[in-house]
Amino acid sequence: MEKKLVMPKLRAEMKKGVLCAWLKEEGDTVEAGEPLYEIETDKVVNQVEATESGVLRKQLRGEGDEVPVLEPVAILETK
Amino acid sequence: MEHSTADGKRPEMRTFANPSHDPFFNQAFEEYVFNTFREGDVFLLWRNAPAVIVGRYQNICREVHAQALRERGIPVVRRMSGGGTVYHDLGNVNYTLISSQSDLVDYDRYLEPVIRALNAIGVPARKNRTCDIAIGEGKISGSAQKAAGGRVLHHGTLLFETDLTVLDEITTGRKNDCFQSKGTISAICPVTNIRSHLKEDMTIGEFQERLLAEMTPPGTPRLTLAEDQLREVERLRDEKYRSWEWTWGSTPAFTYEKEGTFSGAPIRVTYQARRGRLSDAAVDSPLLDGALAARLLTGARLEPEGFASVCRTLAGERWAELLEFLL
Repeated sequence: MEKKLVMPKLRAEMKKGVLCAWLKEEGDTVEAGEPLYEIETDKVVNQVEATESGVLRKQLRGEGDEVPVLEPVAILETK
Repeated sequence: MEHSTADGKRPEMRTFANPSHDPFFNQAFEEYVFNTFREGDVFLLWRNAPAVIVGRYQNICREVHAQALRERGIPVVRRMSGGGTVYHDLGNVNYTLISSQSDLVDYDRYLEPVIRALNAIGVPARKNRTCDIAIGEGKISGSAQKAAGGRVLHHGTLLFETDLTVLDEITTGRKNDCFQSKGTISAICPVTNIRSHLKEDMTIGEFQERLLAEMTPPGTPRLTLAEDQLREVERLRDEKYRSWEWTWGSTPAFTYEKEGTFSGAPIRVTYQARRGRLSDAAVDSPLLDGALAARLLTGARLEPEGFASVCRTLAGERWAELLEFLL
């Protein structure tokens, strides 16, 4: 099943965040709990971890992109 | 910290003494403690010898004059948290609070106990903006966070008796607008030192001791890292915080362009950098060998020392003048 991973909303006031770094490449196998990407908002670097295992199919946004909250940044294919 | 866990018990608090003033070691110390102690709360106080500390995703050259810092012997250290560039010296006290937290961002949870502690020792501090502490309109503290694996590291500066002239020169002296990139840009705020607002004077050592006593509940174990743990911190310092890959190689991708007059003739320098490596470099000047410049710069590492050496090859004794156009 394809699952969209999004820019998390980390504060009530948060409108967007910067996708700072990919910690997994396209095609990588990901275990639940493993770090996927880092975002920055309000001086917080937040490591986003996988909530389920799968394969990172597609990175939809590049490093440095500003992404509105809850918009997809990647597609994870889960079993 | 005065919050409670689900079962009503106050989480365990620990503090580790870190007498080091080495800014690379101290970043590694924080990260080691963050990664190693995964339960309860941790409070740290520490100070750095003069250093510029940049945020995780900042372009160093846009924030500070890297070459001028080199000449003054002030190192640039990249930290793991977000936010902007700060200047540290021995008159600045850094605090770190580590705690378990779900993914929501919360600054007040960390700032409130610090502000209460400051008030209790006679510092008329108040919260300002999202994550600053101020006395009147003068900022005394900025903070930033790193969140991973259900844990948050919150840290902040406390200007006690920092040399504000140097701070101002370094953090506001140069904002280089030749970079087009998406990294985090620093805010510039008026600052003030805590010591000049105290009713009863105290030394920085007394300030640290009283702050530690206020921030940690009675009976909090005051720990030190064991020898083998300190070796691990040193390894992290050497392999990560002192490495080019971490400090320069994690600069967000950017495009650079600068024009001006070099030794009386027009000059235009352009390049791109990704993961700290240059591409599409061009130096257009009637006084310089453009083909050689392109060859030397393409694939070169972004860093003042390497750039200075390229400039010496290209411009001989006028290297410093040329370097101003490259960074």
